[in-house]
Parts: sequence; C-alpha cells; structure tokens
Amino acid sequence: MTDPTRTVSPIDEAIATGIRPDIEAANEEDFEVSLKPLSQWQLAWRRFRRHRLALVGSVIVFIMIFLAVLGPVIWPYDRLDLRPITRPGGSPPSATAVFGTDNLGRSIFELVVNGARLSVAVGLVTMVIATSIGVTVGALAGFFGGRVDSLLMRLVDLIIALPFLFIVLVAATFFGQGDPRLLMIIFGLLSWPGLARLVRALFLSLREQEYVLAAKAVGVGNFRITFRHMLPNALGPIIVSATLIVANAIVLEAFVSFLNFGIRATDVTWGTALSNAQGYLVLGNWWWAFFPGMAIALMVIGINFMGDGLRDAFDPRARA
Amino acid sequence: MIKYILRRIVGLIPLFIGVIILSFILMQLAPGGPAGPVINNTRITQEQKERWLARWCLEDSKDIGSVLRQFGGWSGILNCQNEGSQQFFSAQGGLNFLPAALGGGDNGFLHGDLGTSIDTGRPVGEMIGERAAATLFLTVTALILWVSIAIVAGVYAAIRRYSLFDQSLTLFSYIFFSLPTFWLGLMLIFAFGPALHLLPTGGVVEVRDWPAFGSPQFWVAAGQRPIDAILDIGKHLILPVTTLVLVNIAADSRFVRASMLEALNQDYVRTAKAKGLPGRTVVGKHALRNAMLPVVTNVGLELPFLVSGAIVTETIFSWPGMGRLFIDAVGERDYYVLMGLILIASFAILAANLLADVLYAIVDPRIRYD
Repeated sequence: MTDPTRTVSPIDEAIATGIRPDIEAANEEDFEVSLKPLSQWQLAWRRFRRHRLALVGSVIVFIMIFLAVLGPVIWPYDRLDLRPITRPGGSPPSATAVFGTDNLGRSIFELVVNGARLSVAVGLVTMVIATSIGVTVGALAGFFGGRVDSLLMRLVDLIIALPFLFIVLVAATFFGQGDPRLLMIIFGLLSWPGLARLVRALFLSLREQEYVLAAKAVGVGNFRITFRHMLPNALGPIIVSATLIVANAIVLEAFVSFLNFGIRATDVTWGTALSNAQGYLVLGNWWWAFFPGMAIALMVIGINFMGDGLRDAFDPRARA
Repeated sequence: MIKYILRRIVGLIPLFIGVIILSFILMQLAPGGPAGPVINNTRITQEQKERWLARWCLEDSKDIGSVLRQFGGWSGILNCQNEGSQQFFSAQGGLNFLPAALGGGDNGFLHGDLGTSIDTGRPVGEMIGERAAATLFLTVTALILWVSIAIVAGVYAAIRRYSLFDQSLTLFSYIFFSLPTFWLGLMLIFAFGPALHLLPTGGVVEVRDWPAFGSPQFWVAAGQRPIDAILDIGKHLILPVTTLVLVNIAADSRFVRASMLEALNQDYVRTAKAKGLPGRTVVGKHALRNAMLPVVTNVGLELPFLVSGAIVTETIFSWPGMGRLFIDAVGERDYYVLMGLILIASFAILAANLLADVLYAIVDPRIRYD
C-alpha cells in the first residue's frame, strides 16, 4: 500500500509501483518537490489518465450518458412520427432516417438515441442494487467470520449454483411484467453473489491489517470499523466489478427484451429497438438489428475499457 | 482421494436440496402457479382437469398444506393417487419416497420422473432427452474448439509478449468479449445467409431432407445415410459454433495468457534457463505444465456451459436444444419443463464444481486434499 502522506515524484511512484516512468510524457510539475501529499484518489486518477484505452472507454461512456440524458430532448421520439417505407420491412439508411427505419417506419436513429436512457438506467440501477447487497453481505461475512460467514456464503453458493440465465428469464417473464423498474430490481437481486465473494475475500485480508487492530484497540465499534476504515481500502476492486455489472445488465436487458420477455414494447430501449429485427434479416434489412446492437456493443466496450483502466489505477501491481 | 471426493459430494447435497426448493418456490410464486395453466385451459373438460390436478397433487390454493403436498407430488415423497395420510405410501404399500424396487412409488423426480408437460402432454424427461442431443452437438463442438484455440493462442501470445500477435489477440479479446452474443449471432446470420447465401442460418438439419431432428425417425434415417447426416449437421453447426467460439476465445485466451506469463516469471523457469536448457524445453516442459493447472480448473468450471450455456445461441439459430426448449416453456408457462431444466442445469453446475476441484487435486500434486 502506498503511503499517502509521502510526497510522490514519478521516481517514487515508479519504485512503489514497479512501472518504469515515462519520463518524456510526465508533466514538468511532477519533478518539482511538492509539499502537498497526494491522496490515494489522486494517485489513482494519475494512473488512470495514463491508460490510453481507459480514456477512449471513458469518452465512449460519456457520449452514451450524454445521449441518455439529452438525446430524448434533442431528437425526441414520437411513436406516430413514421417515415415512408420504401421496401418491405423498412427503408435502408437515407437522408430522412440516417440509420434506416423498422417495418413500421420508425426511425432507427431515434430509437437508438431514445433507447439509451432506459438501457443505461437499467445498467446503473442494477449496479446500485447489486453493489449495495453484495458489499453488505460480503463485508458482514468477511468481518465477522464464523457462523455469520458460513451462513451468508452458503446463500451465495446456492445462488451461484442456479443457472443464471434460466432464472433471469423465468423471473423477468413471471414477475417483471414488462415494467423496467421491476426488471431492474430482478437483475439487481440476481447479480450480487460474485461481488459478495470478492468483498468477503478482501475483508478477510484487510481484517488482519494493523490499522484495524489499532482502531479496535481505541474502542471503535464494529460497524464503524467495517464501513469507515475497511471499506475505503477495498473500494478499488469493488468499483471495477461494479462497472462490469453495469455492462452485464445492459446486455441482459437487451437479450431479455429481444426475446419479448423483458421490457414492454412501448418503452424504448436498445433491446426493444431490435426485438423484432431478426425476422427481417432474411429480407436483407441489416440496419435494423445492426445499429441498436452497435450501440450496446460500443457501450459495453467503453465500460470494459474503463474498468480495465480503473483496475490498473487502483492496483498497479495487478497488471498482467 | 476417494475420501475427499465423497466428502465433497456430501457437502454438495444440501446445496442441491436448496436448489430444488428454490426452483419450486419460484414456480409457486409465479402468477397462477403450476395449477394455473391446467385450470385456465379451455380446451379440456372439467373431468380431465381434475384428473390432471390429482395426478400431481395440484390444488388451486396457496395455503401451506397444499403447497407442501404439491412439493410432495413433484418430488415423489407423496403418492398422489391415494388420499390423506395414505399418500405417504405407494401402491406397493411401502413408503412412497423409496425406490420402486424397495416398495416405493414411481412418481416424482426422486424416481426419475420430472412430470408431464402441460403444453405437449408428454413426459418432461423424454422431451429434454430429445433436445439434449442437439444441445450437446453444439456445445461440445464449441467447447473443444474454443478451449484448444484459446490455449494455443494464449500460450503463444505469452511467449511472444508485446509482439504483433499478442497485441492483435488483446484487441480481438477486448472487442469480442464485449459484443453481445445474440447480436454477434444476428450479424453472422445476415452476413452468411441473406447477404452471401453461403451457409444455413437455422436448425440442425435441412428440414426438407430429414424427419424432425431428435425424433426416433430421424435417428433411423440418419443411420441409413450417416455421411449425409454428418455433413448436413456440420454445415448447420458452422455459424452457431463460430458465434460461441469467438465470444469465448476472447475471455479464455486472456486467462491462458495471464497464467502462462505468471509461470514464465517463476524462479524455476529462470533456474532452468540459467542451467542452459534450450528455450523449447523451458517453455514446453517447465512453464507450460505449470501454466495449465489453473487452465484445467477454469475449463472444469466452464463445463455447465455444455447444458445451459447455449441458450442465447440456440434462440438465435432456431437450434432445437434445451435452451430453446426452456424459452418455449417460459412462453407457454410450462412449469414442469422449467423446473426440470433448472434441476438438470443446476446439477451440471454442482457436478462441474466438484469435477474442477477433483481435477485440480489430481493434476497438482502440491494440493493436499485431506
């Protein structure tokens, strides 16, 4: 663990991290003896900035989030605004509909732009639910150990022993009822066990650290030790797996909606946008499936790049 | 070793019981529950409905007693043909949950009976059995291909680290790891189907030339023209297998590469090099063997894929396998088929976990398993 109170120069960082400093790329100011210590977050941000793929990923993700927030305002989706159809199953990309249209004449471009909001929301809300459960369960198990640990971990084992997609499909169909909010809850309730295992493992090792012993010695309560002292030190890996949960949830929503078992067709998401596209592929209508799918793929690639950069930023020794 | 395996199996039993109970509860919570589709079926008479419900101890009620009786009927603890406390006894007079040879009954999954499909009226076990061949053709081919390609590519990338090959593999993995499987499948269908007219895009065999795949008639026909059958299946396998292989190589080659790099950085590799052993021996004997240890475990953990992993691909390519059956059953609310498939898939997951542990203990002599 890098000592945050120490002044850090690129050379120090190189020693601490084992990475050869890129002298030419380093900023001039890095060489000045700075009196202000860098926090762990500042160090992480530094390493993240140097990760080129992570920056590309972040740009993609921010564009998508921008679309999700402002897209529906700039290019609002109107169910009744149908474009002329020049071919059976929809028109190919043209000036009036940049990404072509579906069989009803809806513009695929508008579907993609307006679908971003709900798709990204599903990803984020799922992540929030899954992370809260996963971190709480993992932290409790890892900190208290003993009976609490074995009980919680048996629960995790049980959920992991279930075929994930089967259960998701059953739950989404029987309990989701096409409602995006219910679907987010279902995804969240099923996505946490992996994270709980990770957090437990982190806490098991953090528990043995000296600062925990010190905190205990001065009489800090269990709850405070767990969430104030240990959690911040486990945050790196948790953030990385949280980003992956977002990506998985977006793909999952798309697949479930693609099968028409997910979100109802009147709500636009990337999944519902391409849900009936397969039947028209035979007619050569590639654009209908291509563009919404491309949006999903780009978003997921962006998130994965970002996650990779975050992993290196928080734990520079874990480079493969 | 045998003691270790037995202990692991005993440890898995409560987990499997948990899975059974959980999947049962899930179906009970579903709107209508297992009795719903029977009661709401307008195509059968009242008498038929009652006979069906009685066969499985189904009741249109959610009180705890009736739910427990339904579980008894599904599992085979209760004999639904009898009344009251007599339900615990089979027609032979013994306790119903015992195997038939010991005087038990013949219903419920304890006796290998997964129930009857509400949609087709056929035994669930038989329906799954028919679909298993299609799924296994697809998944076994894909798994063998992607594991071997991933090992070769991953090891080569690790040996030639930062080479052009290594960097291309990294880029390839990043992209294909992120592509949604179903979308990749759709794009392949478009490219090789309507656009190029090169490959069939759905089904296991040409529908016009063969009886329905999986049916007994098909196997008779395939037995008469085995070469035609193999060629036709092979042609239909190309696209779905490619989809699965591309997506899975991405993740696995990274894993192999990391594992090989780890092995190459070990002290014994440096020692071997320092002794003057030729590079081929160092890499092939010292590093490779040790790098394969985590890979073996990883492949073991991927084995449940054989049963439940191809659900997405099967859907896209109209592949009449177990995943497709599951999706159809979800649409039809065919609860016994759903519960049966979940049980089989969970069993595969638990068995694969066990196998992965045992394999690891066998290949790595450093693991002490008792």
